[in-house]
Amino acid sequence: MAQGKSFIVGRAEEIAAGERKLVTVDGKQIGIFHVDGRFYAFLNYCPHSGGALCEGPLTGTTLPADDFQFVYGRAGQVLRCAWHGWEFDIATGEFLLDPQIRARRYPVAVNAAGEIVLQI
Amino acid sequence: MIDCDVHNDWATAEVLLPYLEPTFRDYFVRGERPGPRGAFPHAHRPWLHPEDFRRQDIKPQTQEEHYTIMKERLLDRYGHDVAVLTGEEALEASTLANPFYASALVRAYNDWLVDFWLPKDRRFKGSIIVAPQDPQGAAAEIRRLGGHPDMIQVLMSSGSIRPYGDRFYHPIWEAAAEVGLPVAIHLGGQGGINHSPIGSGPTTYFWETHALLLQPGMTHVGSVIANGIFEKWPGLYFIVIECGVAWLPALLWRLDADFKALRKETPWLKRLPSEYARDHIRFSTQPLENPKNREHLWAILEAIDGQNTLLFASEYPHWDFDDPTKIPIPPDWRENVFDRNARQVYTRLPQQAPAPVDGAASP
Repeated sequence: MAQGKSFIVGRAEEIAAGERKLVTVDGKQIGIFHVDGRFYAFLNYCPHSGGALCEGPLTGTTLPADDFQFVYGRAGQVLRCAWHGWEFDIATGEFLLDPQIRARRYPVAVNAAGEIVLQI
Repeated sequence: MIDCDVHNDWATAEVLLPYLEPTFRDYFVRGERPGPRGAFPHAHRPWLHPEDFRRQDIKPQTQEEHYTIMKERLLDRYGHDVAVLTGEEALEASTLANPFYASALVRAYNDWLVDFWLPKDRRFKGSIIVAPQDPQGAAAEIRRLGGHPDMIQVLMSSGSIRPYGDRFYHPIWEAAAEVGLPVAIHLGGQGGINHSPIGSGPTTYFWETHALLLQPGMTHVGSVIANGIFEKWPGLYFIVIECGVAWLPALLWRLDADFKALRKETPWLKRLPSEYARDHIRFSTQPLENPKNREHLWAILEAIDGQNTLLFASEYPHWDFDDPTKIPIPPDWRENVFDRNARQVYTRLPQQAPAPVDGAASP
């Protein structure tokens, strides 16, 4: 991810673990997610067909299984598009079925003052 | 040429009598049947063909003529190397509520096939017909006859009480995998306990209904993929006979799209539905769609890699017979569709076609 302009989009304590905040920066709608002490930023635009990716549940899913079993895993690590349900890994942006397909992400970090800094 | 759908009929269903066990022989002799003496016990379709469904120029009178006329009008005429026999009314045992009677009837048919038909002509290969409403009985029948070298597939009707990927049927798939035979379905069983062969309820006319033969085919294709048949038994092929072809790309596009959204329902699937279809499902051509502009059909067939997934079938001697010299297959696909593709799925066939003989007809 190339370095771009930095924007302060809020304070870390505004977003509880497992929650998100939608911001509009530089004309783009971006979802800031807080997962287990880390922050992730995604463009609110699903690579599948432009759906509201960042408005879908942050959830778990069934893990690949070899028989007719339902093993739930990746709890809170899967961002599921609000429109058609495509599932993306919150840490990598990869579509779970095909890692060649990735959701658009942006670098985001919390600075020493506790502010969330987004780079676009 | 390999013809994947040739009907070996009986002059009377009473040919089964010597093969029926005593309990069910009594049912057959004294019990109710849907027709006069010689009729096969099954629940009939609510659609009756207004002209009978055999070609009007094929009129065998004796049992022997069922073979001799087939030999003259099909096998010798078109130069068949292999005719895959698919029975006739025996498939309709799937319509009976009594699974024990249904299984007894198909066992008798299979034994008659082995005794009467298979030894008649070196070109004949057989299908083990099973009664799918009795999965345990069907599995036992597959294991009983699965070792016969001339039996090359398991066969059930497209009409069923539920889609064939359902876990209810897994004993059938397991037995087929164990004996190393593909599982095929053929149009039929559209009555009795198979109460929903047509979506939205019964259609009115025979031709209208026949055109919708694709409906159960679509359901079974989706079901066997979604239920992970090819993950659980990765060596299996599923062969769809007489259910049409041109609908398949649309179904696979839809299955892929919906799976991408809701894969969590079926975590046993490791690949896209279309990928399972390409590697594990084959379709017989007859009755092949035949639009005015063949290019329209060929674009569709290309979308499902038809060159490698279609199997030629004539469906002799039915009214909707496809003549191998006339069906609209792209010329450079013919070698695959008429021969090689069938040898890939029917692993008991010799892997090479016999060398052409001078003067032999070719498609």
